[in-house]
Parts: sequence; C-alpha cells; structure tokens
Amino acid sequence: MMRNQLLLASAAALCLAVPGFATADTSDKQIALSNNYAGNSWRQAMLTSWEKVTGAAVEEGVVAAADAFTTAENQVTEQAAQIQNLILQGYDAIVLNAASPTGLNGAVKEACDAGIIVVSFDGVVTEPCAWRIAVDFQEMGRSQIEYLAGRLPDGGNLLEIRGLAGVFVDDEISAGIHAGVEEYPQFEIVGSVHGDWASDVAQRAVAGILPSLPDVQGVVTQGGDGYGAAQAFAATDREMPIIVMGNRHDELTWWKEQKDANGYETMSVSIAPGVSTLAFWVAQQVLDGVEVPKDLTVPFLRIDQDNLEENLETTQEGGVANVEYTLEDAQAVIAAASE
Amino acid sequence: MSALASLTRKPWIWSFVAAGLVWLVTVLFTGGASALGLTLAALTFSSFAIIVGTGQMLVITLGPGNIDLSVPATMTLAGTLALKFMAVDNSLILPGLLVAIAIGLAVGSVNYGLIKLLRIPPIIATLCMSFIVQSTAIWSNRGLRIKPPPALAEFATSGPFGIANVALVALLITIIAWIFLERSIYGRWITSIGQSMAAARMAGVPVDGARFLTYVICAVLASIAGYLLASFSGGAALNMGAEYLLMSIAVVVIGGTSVAGGFSNVPGIWGASLFMFLVVSMLNTYGLGAGFRMIMTGIIIIAVILLASRRNTSLT
Repeated sequence: MMRNQLLLASAAALCLAVPGFATADTSDKQIALSNNYAGNSWRQAMLTSWEKVTGAAVEEGVVAAADAFTTAENQVTEQAAQIQNLILQGYDAIVLNAASPTGLNGAVKEACDAGIIVVSFDGVVTEPCAWRIAVDFQEMGRSQIEYLAGRLPDGGNLLEIRGLAGVFVDDEISAGIHAGVEEYPQFEIVGSVHGDWASDVAQRAVAGILPSLPDVQGVVTQGGDGYGAAQAFAATDREMPIIVMGNRHDELTWWKEQKDANGYETMSVSIAPGVSTLAFWVAQQVLDGVEVPKDLTVPFLRIDQDNLEENLETTQEGGVANVEYTLEDAQAVIAAASE
Repeated sequence: MSALASLTRKPWIWSFVAAGLVWLVTVLFTGGASALGLTLAALTFSSFAIIVGTGQMLVITLGPGNIDLSVPATMTLAGTLALKFMAVDNSLILPGLLVAIAIGLAVGSVNYGLIKLLRIPPIIATLCMSFIVQSTAIWSNRGLRIKPPPALAEFATSGPFGIANVALVALLITIIAWIFLERSIYGRWITSIGQSMAAARMAGVPVDGARFLTYVICAVLASIAGYLLASFSGGAALNMGAEYLLMSIAVVVIGGTSVAGGFSNVPGIWGASLFMFLVVSMLNTYGLGAGFRMIMTGIIIIAVILLASRRNTSLT
C-alpha cells in the first residue's frame, strides 16, 4: 500500500518534472494527421510546423506517435479511404484537414463510432461528433474594408481579388468583404477577378481587367495574390493602390521595399499555417480528458506597418509568416470558447 | 472573294476571329480607352500558353492517344530547380536556362521510355511521370519561393514598345516550330505517323526516333515556359503549372489542330492563346460571376472548335 503510494507520488513528480505538461495520460496515445493537399507553400509550411512541434512532443513522451498522411489527388473518396485505414491502424485521434466540409462525414462518423477523437481544422467537417477549429473567414474579409475605411475616410474604388472559384473559403472571405462594403458605403467594388491564391494567376487576371477599370484606390485580397497584383499595377502607369497583403514572404518583402522607398502603408492578414499544431494540442487535450467545446476559433495573424520588420525577419525566405502554437495557446483557445 | 473564301477555309482563322471579337467586345466596355493596354497584356500573358501549347501540339499530332500530361509538373520542376540553382545571381542566368532544358530532356526521355519500353499508353505514362516530377519539385524546395535574378526578371517583364520579351521569345519559338513542321523532314514524319503509324513505318519513317524527339521537344518547351513564367511572376510556386494542363490542350484544339492527330497548325496556337486570355478578361470586365464565367468559357470553346473542325468533316 505504502509502496504503491510512493510509486504514484514519484510518477507524479516525474510528470511535473517535464516542463509544461502537468499530466502525461496521453503518453501511449497515437495521433494521425489526415491532410488532403500539399501542393502549395502554405500547406508545406503547415506540414513542416506539424513535424517540428509534434516531433518534439513525441520525443518528450507527451504522445506516442503523431504521423502525417497526405493524399495525392485532393479527392474526397481518397481521403475517406485514408481515414478508414487510419481507423484500422488503431490511432486514438485523427487531426483532419478535409477535402470537403460534408463529403467526409460518413468516414468521420465511422471513426467516432470506433472511439476515435476527430479534430478538424482549416478545412473543417460538419459531422457533429468531430471538433472544429474554424477560421472566421468573413471577419477576415470585413476587417480589410475596416482597415481601408481608416486609411481612406472618403472611400474609393476597390478591386477584389478572389480565390479559387467554388471553394468554401473563397465564398466566405468574399461575403465578408461585401458585408464590409455595405457597412462602409463610401467604397465601391469596381472589378472582381479570381487569382486562385497564386501570384502568377492574380498577376495575369489583374493585368487583363486593369485597362478597363477606372482609378483604383484599394485592392482587397485573400492571400498569396498581393505580390502578383502589385506587379500588374507596376507594369502600368497607374498610381499604386493600397493592396492588402496575405503574409507571404514575397508580399512582405515588396511591402518593406515600398515602405523604405516611399513610405507605402498597408496591412497584411492571413491564417498561420501553424494552425495544424493548435489542432494537435486540442486533440491531445481531448485525449487527456479535458472538456473541450466542439467549435473553436483560430486567431488571425495580422501584420501592421509597425511590426512589419520583426515579422519579415521571422518569416522563412519564400515562405509564409507563421506561428507555432504551444499547449498553453491551445488551453487559452479552449478557455475562450468555454466561456 | 476567292482570297476571302480560301481564308475561311484555313482552320486557324476561327481562333483569330474569336479572339478579335472578344477583344472588340472588351474594348467597347470602356469606349476604346483600354485598347492598347488590353492588347499588350494579351500578348504578354499569352506567351506561356503559346510555348507550352506548341509542344503539346507536336505530341497530339502524333496521332490518337498521344498526349503529354506531365507538362504542368515539368514546368513546376524546371522553374523551381532553375531558380534555386541561380540563387538570385545574374551571372548564372544562362546556366540556369540549361538546368531547365536538362530537366526537360530528362523528363521527355523517361516519358517516351515508359511509353516504348514498358508499353504503357502515353496518357498513363505521362500522368505517372507527372506525379514523380511534381513530388520531386515539392521535395526539392518545400514550396519556398525563390526570387529570379534581377536581370532575368527585368528581361521577362520588360521589352520594346511595351511588349514583354517573353512574347518575343514565344514568337521565335513558334517560328522555329513552324519551319520544323512545314519545311523539314521531321514535320513530314510526325504528320505521317499521326495519319497512320503502320503506313509511316512501311514507308521507312523512323517512327520511334521521331516520336522520341517529339516527347522530348514537348518537355523541353514546358521547361522553358516554366523557367520564363517563374522569372516573370517573381518566383516558382508549386501550383504554378496547374492550369497549363487544360490550357495546353485547349489552345491546340481551338487553334485548329486535329485532336485525332496527323494535322497540326502553328498559327492557330497564337489565336487560341490570345483568345483564352481575352475571354477571361472580357467576362471579368463585364463583372460576371465565376459560375457564369466558366459556363460561357465552355460554350465559347465548343463553338470555336465546331467552326474550326467544319473543314475536316466536309473533306471526309
């Protein structure tokens, strides 16, 4: 009896000795990342962050395994099959970036029924048994107009660069932008193109519509497209409008060059790819028995004129401005949602 | 009159007519003020589709089943590795181009190796190859954008009379392709292979050599397009080739080249590439929604293909 208590006490002491992790009830748990796409720099940064943070967590014995799996073709059927494999392999939790908000619900339900924790993020699923770490994309769009209203009190003409047509995220950000324009009616959207979140596509689309546009005072974007838009404007003799950036290294570098050359001012907003690590800690907390609300919200990563330099410095050359989340960050997000 | 009649019988004329109409409708929106800007943008941004499309055209000319689906991946890998190799150093611009071309040579050779030695149909062989090539691109740089050397970026984006140099490169490449097709024995070979491989073989055409050369040329042109596109747009991105798969096939077909092979058409590539850029600009200018835009693009493409293929059906 005495001996058992001693053992327990020393085990507890050991757990406390590992900094930051009060409990280690999850040390035998295995977490898998099911990811639908890896073909752009944001997703690559997301996977790198996952590797870095979960690698350390596995080494410290917080969890037994945290393996990442990416499907090749970005297809719902392929990812559903992947989830079924993960169920059979006996993972305790699946962290999911889904190819479709509804298409994977069947596979997710199967996982839940098998007693597996499913935490979806970025591409979230609607299945009620899963957790969702969602981004308030509408607010992301609306905040751009709010910023522009501060810079241009008299309003002006806006060019909207949208993302990939038919994708949920594109509709959400665009809806937020249009809601913002209703709130600040001094602005008018005079043109809208799809830039597919890619610099070269945005550059081509903007160059194609620019000749037929009146003067443009602001460009609202969705991320990854700001540099291409700037290039397209630079190729004409138009005045450079305020282009809202999306945290990519090339966008921030261009902004910094303009800031130094002529005091150019703008802001930059996007989601840190490290949100995958937030999802990891949330899954770990659920496995640990913590009561976690099903719907959580990720904070944006916003860069302004005065913290541009420090963010540019920490952003990997050619990558995306990033934040990797810690267990404490996850606990703060959970606490905020529980209120 | 007979000159006009013979002109309407040229299969490439319809892509130019369509491009001209779309240009006119777009320019009318601003009462003509956008004419120059739109023309220059169209010439500049079409050049990548023209270079890629020329390579795809040669492959499609080889006859039914011949297609290169590895084009987007080859563009991405060539752009990524060439820019990584140059590392923003002006003195490495030419060696960088050679790196891109070497990637094209390698991809094209393996493509045809799979098709010939392993007897895999081209559509599957090149699709498999594109997975390998795309993964190599992801693995080699993890999606980080490296800037092109300043002199190369300057070359790609500027040029005489506001026409970007990339458009002149595209013109040069299409002229060489036209000479090859119309004035060299190689052109006769691939046309005859496309019309009947068995007959070509009996007539003593080196079928394997000509097909090998064609797949290699296509991959090399894709590499050059990737190198130029990455330099033009400020760096290589992992998904930069994505839309050039359908684009390369669409410009070939709209340009009046027979999908069944055996008949190719260089001028049509220009008309079709300009048209593909202008049609998006037109629908953007009139502010139509993305769904409607895609439906319209589809309908317009089908209409142009129907017009362009009338000549072929009336002959047979």
